[in-house]
This record gives sequence, C-alpha cells and structure tokens, in this order.
Amino acid sequence: MKMRKIEMGFTEPDMTPMIDIVFQLLTFFMIAINFENTKADERVKLPKDSLAKPPVVKPEHELVLNFGYQRFPSGELRKSRPEVFYNERYVDVYEISPELEQEKRVMERVHGQNAIKDVTVLIRADSEIPTGLVQELIRKCQEAGFSKFSLRATSEEA
Amino acid sequence: MMKLRNRLSEPTKLQIPMAPMIDIVFLLLIFFMLNLKIVSPEGNFNINLPISAPSAVAAEFTLPEIKVGMVSDRQGNLMQLTLGSKNLGNDEMAFERLNREILKIIGRPGNPLAKDIEVEIDADYETQYKYVVKAISNCTGRLDTGSKQVARYVEKIKFAPPHKPKA
Repeated sequence: MKMRKIEMGFTEPDMTPMIDIVFQLLTFFMIAINFENTKADERVKLPKDSLAKPPVVKPEHELVLNFGYQRFPSGELRKSRPEVFYNERYVDVYEISPELEQEKRVMERVHGQNAIKDVTVLIRADSEIPTGLVQELIRKCQEAGFSKFSLRATSEEA
Repeated sequence: MMKLRNRLSEPTKLQIPMAPMIDIVFLLLIFFMLNLKIVSPEGNFNINLPISAPSAVAAEFTLPEIKVGMVSDRQGNLMQLTLGSKNLGNDEMAFERLNREILKIIGRPGNPLAKDIEVEIDADYETQYKYVVKAISNCTGRLDTGSKQVARYVEKIKFAPPHKPKA
C-alpha cells in the first residue's frame, strides 16, 4: 500500500514573485528620488505657477540664491524682513555683496576667468517678498558681475 | 549505503539562502521610500536684465513697448494691474485679461514677428513677489488646459528700475 507522506509544518513559500515586485519598487524609488533638488530650500515658499516647467536645457553654471522669511513651524513670520539663506546663515539683502564677490571668485577659479558671464543666477524667492527687495537682490548680483537671471516658481498641480 | 550514493552522484539543486538578500532589499526599499520627497517640479522664468542702460542706437525699428504696471498697497496686495495706460483691475480675472491683451498684441502664439517684443514689468516696491511671477507667467504664455501644451507669447521680460518704498 502506497501512502503519500504528508509533510507536517514547514512549507517553503514561493518567493520569486515577491522579490520581483520588491525589486520593481526599489528601482522605482531609486529613480524617483531626485538628488537634483538638493539645493532647493524648503523654507522658501515659492510662488506657484502652472507655466513653470523645468528647463529643457540646463544652464551651464548656476548660482542658487534662496531668499525667504524665517518662519515658525506654524508658518508665522519670525522676522518681518526677508533674508537670503546663504550656507546656513541668514544674510540681509543689503549685506550680500561680500558673499556674491566670494561666489564670483570661486566661479572664476573653478571655471575660468570669464565664467561669470555664463553663470545663471537662480532666484528662489518667497512668494510674499516685496518685489523691491527682489530687484535689490538682482541689482546686487549685477554689481558683482552676474548677468543672467532666472526666477523660480513651482509648477502648480492642476 | 543507498543514501550515500544518492547524495554524491545526483546533481542537486543548489539552494541559495534568500533571507539575507530579502532583508537587505527591504532595507534599501525603506531607505529610498523615506528619502523620497514629493515635491512638485520647479521651473524657471528667464528675465532679461542688461547691466548697462539700453542704448538708443539699438532701437532701429521701435516696437511698441509693452509696459505692465502693478500698484500695491503697503501690505503688498495688488491694487491695480495696468497694461500701458489700460486698467485691468485687481481681481483674479485681471491676469486673464492681461493674458488676452498680450495675445492681441502679438497676434498669434509663437508669432516670429513678435520675437523681439519686450515686456517691461513695473511693480511697486511693496508688491508681493507672487503677483510679479503671475504677471510674468501671463506675459510669457498660456497653458492649454486640455492638451497641457504651452502656447508661447512673449519671450523677453525685463524689470523697470525699482521704485522707492512708500514712506
């Protein structure tokens, strides 16, 4: 008499489909994560605009300036004047010139003497900043020798 | 005796230990999941700001200059949006009107004749930056809601010299 042996307890589940899915997810998250936006400062509440599309051609060299308010976690302003967030420091827009000069020197040393002409200054300004101060920041940059400017906005989800 | 023969000669399927690999893969998965920031992509508006004052020599054929003016109160709220001498109001529809007026000026989107048209933004010192970006956006083009295509209007945007703050 033949009797099938009934295995008790442990059965090996088929892992292959699960591993497939997990690898898919892993790949998705690895690709979706963008290290591009590391310079983006979350403290700056950019203006929203549906036309703001990521540029097709990336500028050759760029200098990102984050210009915003210090806020409490609740969103209220800690200070009434906006400041430039520069390397973990807060710099008033009227005192930014030394930092810009330093950026210029670094650019020239790294990319050559005339590189300053190819540098695009990306201005990430808070949506509530008075326009006059943004223009002041641009003027300071022009004084330092920067000539190309871009204003940043987030593309609104329609 | 039987058992020994069996084990030595028969090619058995090699069992790769899966558990450590799955552990690592899960760790990586969780790492990437937690690092993923859901941010909407950012885009640029290029602005045209020559350092030197524009020389009069360059104006061979003078195109009609488009001037978008923005008047604000002390808090920076938009009080009035103007195009040339035309008042466009200060509500949500003002920017829509601006968009339509710009289209009227350039004729049709992407018109090669309108390539050299320049829009000057002249905003009060206090005007909140978001209104300026909105105005720039409405001058540069229009997003078709159906096809998600952008119709380009004016490429060149510049700022008027800054105003003094209201005393």
